[in-house]
Amino acid sequence: MSTTGSWLRYATLPSVGLVLACLPLAILGSALYARLATQMLAYIAYTVAFNLIFGHTRQLFLCLGALAGASAYFSVILTRELGLSPWLTVLLGTALAAALGTLFSYISVRRGLGVIFLGIVTLAFSLMFENLLLGLRDLTRGETGIVTKGLGFGILGERWASYYVFLGLLLLALALYQALVSSKIGLALRALSDDELAAELAGINVVRYKVLAAGVGSALLGVVGACYAYYNGYVNPSIFSLVGVDVVVLVMLLFGGMGTLLGPVLGGAVFTVVNELVRPLGPLNLLVYGALLIVLFLAFREGLVVALRRATGLPLP
Amino acid sequence: MGALLTATGITKYFGGLPALQDVSFDVLQGEIFGIIGPNGAGKSTLLHVISGVVVPTRGRVLLKGRDITGLKPHRICRLGVARVLQTPRPFPSLTALENVAVGAIFGRRDGGSQAWQHAADVLAFLGLQDRAAVAVGKLNLQEKKMIEVARALATGPELLLLDEVMGGLNPTEVEETMHLIRKIRDAYGVAIVWIEHVMRAIMGIAERVMVLNYGEVLALGSPAEVARDPRVVEAYLGKA
Amino acid sequence: MWLIALLIDGIVQGLQFSLLAVGLTLIFGLGGVLNLAHGQFAVIAGMVTALLLDQGLDPVPASAAGVLATGLFGFLVDRSLLLPAYRYSGETRLLLGLLLTLGLSFVIEGFLNYSVPYVALSLHLPWPSVRPLGIPVRTASIVVSLLAILALGALLLFLRRTPLGKAIRSIMQNEVGAALCGIDPARMRTLIFTLGALLAGLVGITQGLFASLGPEMGLELTVFALIVTTVGGVRSIHGTIAAGVLLGIVHAFASFYIGAYVTFIILLATAALTILWRPSGLLGYWT
Ligand SMILES: Nc1ncnc2c1ncn2[C@@H]1O[C@H](COP(=O)(O)OP(=O)(O)O)[C@@H](O)[C@H]1O
Ligand SMILES: [Mg+2]
Repeated sequence: MSTTGSWLRYATLPSVGLVLACLPLAILGSALYARLATQMLAYIAYTVAFNLIFGHTRQLFLCLGALAGASAYFSVILTRELGLSPWLTVLLGTALAAALGTLFSYISVRRGLGVIFLGIVTLAFSLMFENLLLGLRDLTRGETGIVTKGLGFGILGERWASYYVFLGLLLLALALYQALVSSKIGLALRALSDDELAAELAGINVVRYKVLAAGVGSALLGVVGACYAYYNGYVNPSIFSLVGVDVVVLVMLLFGGMGTLLGPVLGGAVFTVVNELVRPLGPLNLLVYGALLIVLFLAFREGLVVALRRATGLPLP
Repeated sequence: MGALLTATGITKYFGGLPALQDVSFDVLQGEIFGIIGPNGAGKSTLLHVISGVVVPTRGRVLLKGRDITGLKPHRICRLGVARVLQTPRPFPSLTALENVAVGAIFGRRDGGSQAWQHAADVLAFLGLQDRAAVAVGKLNLQEKKMIEVARALATGPELLLLDEVMGGLNPTEVEETMHLIRKIRDAYGVAIVWIEHVMRAIMGIAERVMVLNYGEVLALGSPAEVARDPRVVEAYLGKA
Repeated sequence: MWLIALLIDGIVQGLQFSLLAVGLTLIFGLGGVLNLAHGQFAVIAGMVTALLLDQGLDPVPASAAGVLATGLFGFLVDRSLLLPAYRYSGETRLLLGLLLTLGLSFVIEGFLNYSVPYVALSLHLPWPSVRPLGIPVRTASIVVSLLAILALGALLLFLRRTPLGKAIRSIMQNEVGAALCGIDPARMRTLIFTLGALLAGLVGITQGLFASLGPEMGLELTVFALIVTTVGGVRSIHGTIAAGVLLGIVHAFASFYIGAYVTFIILLATAALTILWRPSGLLGYWT
């Protein structure tokens, strides 16, 4: 049992990497599929970030798209207006997202804001961000958005090169996630998500670990958001909207399983497919996501990974 | 020998209502210090104040002369004060050993590489070694309470705060727990502040007893003195 | 002159904010659920009314039917969707309530955008404007204000004078006390949720009178209600009502002078800063 456990722990990440690395062979050539696959990687990475923020420490950030978007716009605008290298501005954007996420988390933990108040504050931030983009037309070009080019050397310019850049990012994120949760930090996160008072009384600095989780998660949102901006060829507000990112990521995480390594990967993969299936439904799309949110939260809160653990008897990470 | 813990003039108001009024006492090194009083007397609140969960409206708490009033609970824990809550709250998603390891890793100043060994030792000391790998949700209430005690002990405290660990026990179990509390003190050399409803138990092993009533100290002294105090007899024992 | 017109517009819009937000406050205070579908309730009333008007029904019965339908919908939501949330307490209930109603709001919005994408409610009164004291005022403003003031007055009377209303206020202060009074919190929750839905429904109608209401406006209305509730104090009925009118006025003037985007950002920032500075609401201590 424990040997299968440790075997699985070491084998899972490379297996995920291998499967995803071979994915292009299966869908060779199709530009549409290449785009979908790359998008999937970005969303899985968003979900890994949200898993740290919400899955492990129950901080309801309703500003995932806004944090990714803040980083993306910051980077793109700095590059366009000041002529800075996109490599540098991606880092600056990431730092901005990390700083904002850290700030939200720090304030909310220190002020003891519950899930409602943190939800409202981050929701307000999302909407402010969106209106700022629409209002500052000179800088952001409003709804039309800004055209972007790759990062140079064909990186994030060519179809499959981009895919592997995002795959690299995602695998790094997953490795970081695994290192975090299997270290002493992970033990602290598990304990405090069970019971913050008991954790604090056992010597865990709850503020520090919650802020750390939010900061790392936000940095990940930032780096993926900014890279996505260059890959995508343009940025506009709808790419980072609440409905386009937050709701989808929430559903992906819930379905896959909070607090697990595989949850975001499976949830992200499944819902990339689902998303394509419901796209022709037009406005009903939103209805489907709303209904999924409800059903998942009512009937499937443990998520796919836990269900699979139970079905197979394997201690999947 | 100086006092390990000194509390002076502890006063706590909850929305205008006093839960503690001008409570002062000290706890000596290695002492078993009992606190009794009717429900709502402020006993748990007093432990909240000492462990940093609640900041007192007025008053100071000193640990070996150092002012710890208003420090965060995790700091106070690392300074050597461990707390066992009234209703056991072990971490349900961790195993028994992991629960105890949390205390050893985060609660000690010298955590480090020895932490898991510490945790296993404490579990063995409390006779729970064969439950180590069990998810805590599968343990019974008494075992959960012991996991709490183990987690507290694993933080390497000099002062252990116990809140009604005997609630719902039958007489034999009460007897065993009394024995255990003495054993903990002797083996770990900790001072124990111990709240209890079961009079007989506390009178049996506490070296000094403080009686709280409506947030005020009604009496403080050896069990024999306290039991003779007419106000205590009237307010508390008289009714029983 | 246009200053007075702006002020009147602001007050009228503000009264509608109050009406919407007070339902949110009551539902949150009593049931611990922050209803993120609240604005959608207003939209439901508007769409039902618009469809009934299309069928040739007169405006008054159509509006009444729209409001009642929304009340019934609210009742059903409380008795079905929210039951699982009510089974928990504390943070779990808050979280579950938040996400379930968020899901509900998407379901409603998706459904309406799909089934009645081009329907909008726009009610017209026989006399477009009157001139009391020589100032031209839109009749719609007067009617909307009267409706809102009547509804708010009735609500306050109910909460102050009737035993049930007093019980509701006592639960909002602390649930334990009410449980001791022998009140069934579950019934009261349903009652208040239905009442909140009815009030939201009324806002759907007044919005149709004052301007117009389309199927895509739900989220925006919810956000305005959230801002008002937050600024007024999530546990304070009077604070919420006052904040509604105040923010309505701010909204009218700011939109006029500095534009819609900045206004919205200012309102959102006010709400966020209120939470950080004084979570019980800027106006929460008025009562
Ligand atoms: N967080 C709190 N908020 C308001 N009142 C509290 C709080 N904690 C305790 N009280 C009140 O303080 C008094 C003392 O409670 P407590 O310390 O739990 O008593 P005991 O442990 O002696 O039974 C009680 O009247 C209780 O209602
Ligand atoms: Mg107690």
